[in-house]
Order: sequence, then C-alpha cells, then structure tokens
Amino acid sequence: MESVIPSAAKRPESLPPLLAREGHGTTDSSCRISLGLKEMDAEIVLQAIVNGLMVGGVYALIAVGLTLIFGVMNVVNFAHGEFVMLGMVMTYLLHLFFGMDPGVSILLVIPVMLGVGALIQKGLISRVIGQPDEAQILLTLGLSVLLTNIALLFMGPDYRSVKTAYKLSVWAVGPILFSVPRLLAFVLAMAFSGTLWLFLTKTDLGKGLRAVAEKPEVAVLMGINPQRMHMLAFGIGISLAAGAGSVLTPFFYTFPSVGGLFVLIAFVVVVLGGMGNIPGAIIGALAIGVTESLTSQFVALDLAMLGVFIIFVLVLVFKPSGILGKGKVY
Amino acid sequence: MGTPPQEPSSGTRYAPWILLVVILAFPLLFPSRYFQRTLINIFFFAALGCAWNIIGGYAGQLSLGHAGFVAMGAYPTALLLLFYNVPPWVGFLPGIVIAVGVAFLLGHLVFGLRGPYLALSTLAFGEIVRILLLHFRDQTGGSLGVTIPFKGTSLWKLQFASEQPYYYICLVLLGVCLYVTYRVHGSRMGYYLQAIKENQDAAENLGINLAACKVKALMISAALTAILGAFYVSYFYYIDPDSVAGSDLSIKILLVAIIGGVGTVWGPVVGACILVPLTEISNYLFGSGRAGASLIIYAIILMIVVLFSPRGLITLLPGGARSYRSE
Repeated sequence: MESVIPSAAKRPESLPPLLAREGHGTTDSSCRISLGLKEMDAEIVLQAIVNGLMVGGVYALIAVGLTLIFGVMNVVNFAHGEFVMLGMVMTYLLHLFFGMDPGVSILLVIPVMLGVGALIQKGLISRVIGQPDEAQILLTLGLSVLLTNIALLFMGPDYRSVKTAYKLSVWAVGPILFSVPRLLAFVLAMAFSGTLWLFLTKTDLGKGLRAVAEKPEVAVLMGINPQRMHMLAFGIGISLAAGAGSVLTPFFYTFPSVGGLFVLIAFVVVVLGGMGNIPGAIIGALAIGVTESLTSQFVALDLAMLGVFIIFVLVLVFKPSGILGKGKVY
Repeated sequence: MGTPPQEPSSGTRYAPWILLVVILAFPLLFPSRYFQRTLINIFFFAALGCAWNIIGGYAGQLSLGHAGFVAMGAYPTALLLLFYNVPPWVGFLPGIVIAVGVAFLLGHLVFGLRGPYLALSTLAFGEIVRILLLHFRDQTGGSLGVTIPFKGTSLWKLQFASEQPYYYICLVLLGVCLYVTYRVHGSRMGYYLQAIKENQDAAENLGINLAACKVKALMISAALTAILGAFYVSYFYYIDPDSVAGSDLSIKILLVAIIGGVGTVWGPVVGACILVPLTEISNYLFGSGRAGASLIIYAIILMIVVLFSPRGLITLLPGGARSYRSE
C-alpha cells in the first residue's frame, strides 16, 4: 500500500546486493482456488450465489449514492470510494474508543457525513457544475487522492479490523451457510436503500430531488432551489457510501486505500444499471456481487475483478446507457 | 532538444540555450548523485506527461490508465533481459509493438465514449493490465515483481554504476517526447485534435475522422509511454504491478501534465519541475516512509489548478500563455 512514486530517495544506495534476487517469485503468497468442474455441484453454486448477493447488497448501498449524485447533479464522483473509507475509519474509531458496534455507529456516521457532503458540495463541487467534464473529473479525483493520503498520514498503511463478538458466527440454513456479519451488512444496506427509495417517492423533499434530476429548469420554476437539492443529493450520496463502509468493517479490513477497491465496482454497477437509475443500481450491484463470487469460486480468486471489469468495458462500449436503460432517479 | 516553439521575443532570446547548456553540463559540474537523481526524475515525469499530453491534453481525451502502457514497455524489457539476456536496447522494441497494438484496439473500443464514460473505461483498462500482471505470476513474478540483478557497468546491458549515463539517456528521451509533441502541435493532426477537444460534433461535421485521429494520437502516446517504461526498469532495476501499472502512477502522469499546462509542449516540463522537487521536499520534511504527505500537496495543487487556473501553471510564467496556439 506504499505510494508507488519512484522517488529517487527510495532507490537503495547499494543496488546489487540489496535487490539481486535470482529468478523471481513463484512462491504463492495468496491462495488460489480453482475448483474442477466436477466439484461444481448445486450446493457450492448456491452458496456462491448467496455470498455474492450479500456482498452485492453492500455494493448496492455504495452505488445507489453514486447514481443519485450523478442523476441529480450530473457529476461523476471519483472520490466516492474514499467516503466508504471515511465511514470505515469512523466506525473503526468509534469501536476502538467506545466499543460501539458497527450496526449502531452507522446511525452516527450517516448524519455526520450528510453534513460533510453538503459542505463539500457547497464549497467545492458547486464550482465545477456546468463546466467541462474534465473539471469535475479532475476535482473529484483530486479530492480522492487528498482523502486517501490524509488517512495514510494519520493511520499509516496498516490493515485494521473491527472485532465484533459475532465476527465469525455463521447461521446454517440447510446446507447453506450465512455469515452473520455479512448478513447484517446485507440487511442494513437493503434497509437504507429502501429508505432512500421511500424518501424519494413519498416525501416532498425527495420529489424535489427527482424534479431537479429530471428537469432542472422546470424545477426552478416550481420554486425548488437546485443548489440546495445538489447539497442534499451529495450529502445523501456520500453518507450512504460511508454507511456502507460502516457495515463492511466487521468483515473487511480498514486501510487508507480501501476506497479504490469499491469505487470501480460502484462505477461498474452504476453503468450497468444506467447512470442515475436507482433500482438499476440495486439490481446491477446484486448481479455484480454474484458475478464476482462465481468467478472467484470457479475460475480463479484473483481474477474475480477481471470478470467484472470486462463486463464493464463491454457494457460501456456496446450499451453505455446501461442494461436497464438510462435515467430515472427513482 | 529542439528550440522552444514560442519564445518571448524580448532579451531573453538566448535564455533557453543557456539553460540547455547548464542542463547538459550539470552532471559534470555537480557530482551529487542526489541532485542528478532528482533531475532524472524530473526528466522522466516530464517525458511521461508529454506522452500523456498528446492524447489527454491536445485531444482532451482524459486517460486514467496510462500506467498500463508503462507496464507494457517495462515488463517485456525486464523479462527479455532476465531470461534471454536481450539487452534493453533491443528489448524495448516488443514493448512498443504491444503498446501500439493495444492502443489501436483500446482506441477503437473506447473512443466512441465521452467524458466520464471514457475516463472510467481507461481506468478499468489500467486495472485490467494490473490484474493480469498479478495473475500470471509464473511469467511476471506476480506481486513480488521482477528484479534485474546488477552485474557491473555495461553499456550493452544499459547498466551503470553512476547516474550520469542515465541522466543523459533520460534527457534524450525527454527531448524525443518534446520533439514529437512539438511536431504534433504544429501539424494538421494537432489542429484536428484541438478541434476534437473543443467540440467533437463540430469537428466531425467539418469532416474530421474522429476515431482515426484519436486512435492515432493514442498510438503515438502509447509508444512513447512504453519507451519510458523500458527506461524505468533499466533505471530502477525493479518493477511490480502496483508500481508500473497502478492507478497511482496513472494519476501522477496526468497530474504532471494538468498542473503544468494541458495541451502545451512545455506544460508537462513545468509540471514535473514543480511536482518532483515538491516530492523531495516533502520526503525530507516528513520522511519518505510517510509518502502520503507529497500526494496531499499534489491533490491540493490539482484542485486549485482546476478551480482557478484550468489551463495550468504555465500560464503564470512570462510568455506562458503563448504556449497555447489559439492565443
């Protein structure tokens, strides 16, 4: 996780003895699971699908935030993964100092990040809305590098984990095993995604957001303040990402660059479901979770993401509006 | 090194030539390895920024996966030297062929996309290269990377105990990149690329073949980037997928060009002259172990540039605004 910049200072003074290593590493540091086809029976497939769905639920919460921001503001938030990381760090610290359970700290993380998001929107992102795409891409990219490295400065590159009592508990339903922390993450993620959907469809504020997403100029005529809606959308978007971070902590390591792992998946999901399309993002997330799980189970563990990216590029190239079509925020 | 494209016409006419002589004489006058290394880093990143600039700056097609091309230059060079004793002078050629071929395919695949979609697909491209390098560990060493053993100074193997030869090689590479950029800048293709950057639809209506033009620019950019990748492994003796194909390197390449001045010949040089010394200063102040510090500074500079000086810091230099053709 060290920075990869080939800084001259890092080059060892005495190159030959330090770096000379005959041949190169063929030792396996990571395990490789490559099950033969004959072992591919129904139970294993079902278990892989269940695991994929549970992780997919968390992806859904991250992606829903990203797609909401895109739908309302037409901004692709390259720093989205870093807000997942911030949620994880906050949850980690709350657990470290107060012993707070991630399932509880999510209730603190979400409102805090709602405010943070509104401020970031007002102070930074609002300045590039309506400007060429490069401006917003580079600004959010800069924000992402900034947040990762601030975390790196304070936390160091170490992997940290939140040890809950139920970390290793498993429920067995027939032959299928449910890991308790993953199941909890799935349930919470789905609950928050559902709450967002209710908010968007049932409340005036939510309807205002949708109005700005669909026809900003008409929304203004209806007395809706688009700047406020942008602040709300960005706040909700990143607080959902941070909430996903909270529920990830019991079964995923917390470290400064963890966001990079999730941001690409979230982009894949959002593109798959159609940018700005919330049900699309949820379905896309579950599909990507299952794809990833099946690839790692039956092809190779380290190629799981490759399958996901290849789907991504193919969807981008051949159906950039997404499998479920473009467009609506609800 | 060619002459700069547009010099201020005042009494500073000879300044670039004096500067060139100083740069050429520097390693002979100052034997400090540390300063030579810092300058090599500046040349290297300036050259990478130039290569990126051709597609990312002139054509405005943001590539967030250029590190993939660095890896395509670096890995074949390293593996050919290690296993077949092929010197880097020859070993860099297959890398160029691979990079140009991949650029051709990638360009045709993704250049129908615009804005964030294009940026995302190039980001995914870089990640695909990195994952493949990690996966085929029997050939590439996986996450352990490839180490080139140093077997004494040898011009043939491009291995030198002192920094000076690397200094001049890297300077020549920077010169090549600047020359290519300069040629693109003044050519019909340069005007096409600028038209594409300003407004793709209008450019197409004017009869510019968008796809062909963008793909050609990407292929030139990829070839230069791959050559620099070959230099990277020859100079650092070590590569791994995270250092040569990671998104951090891709972002740093783009930072050099954008902070300096996107779509100008000399912008990346300005960017590298700012960013590399900043890295050194921050490593000195905060310790190189805490690598985060320098990237925090970069990120802040990037955000300031995007918000307040989107054409890069080169516009702040005297005569810098003239680097843009349309001025």
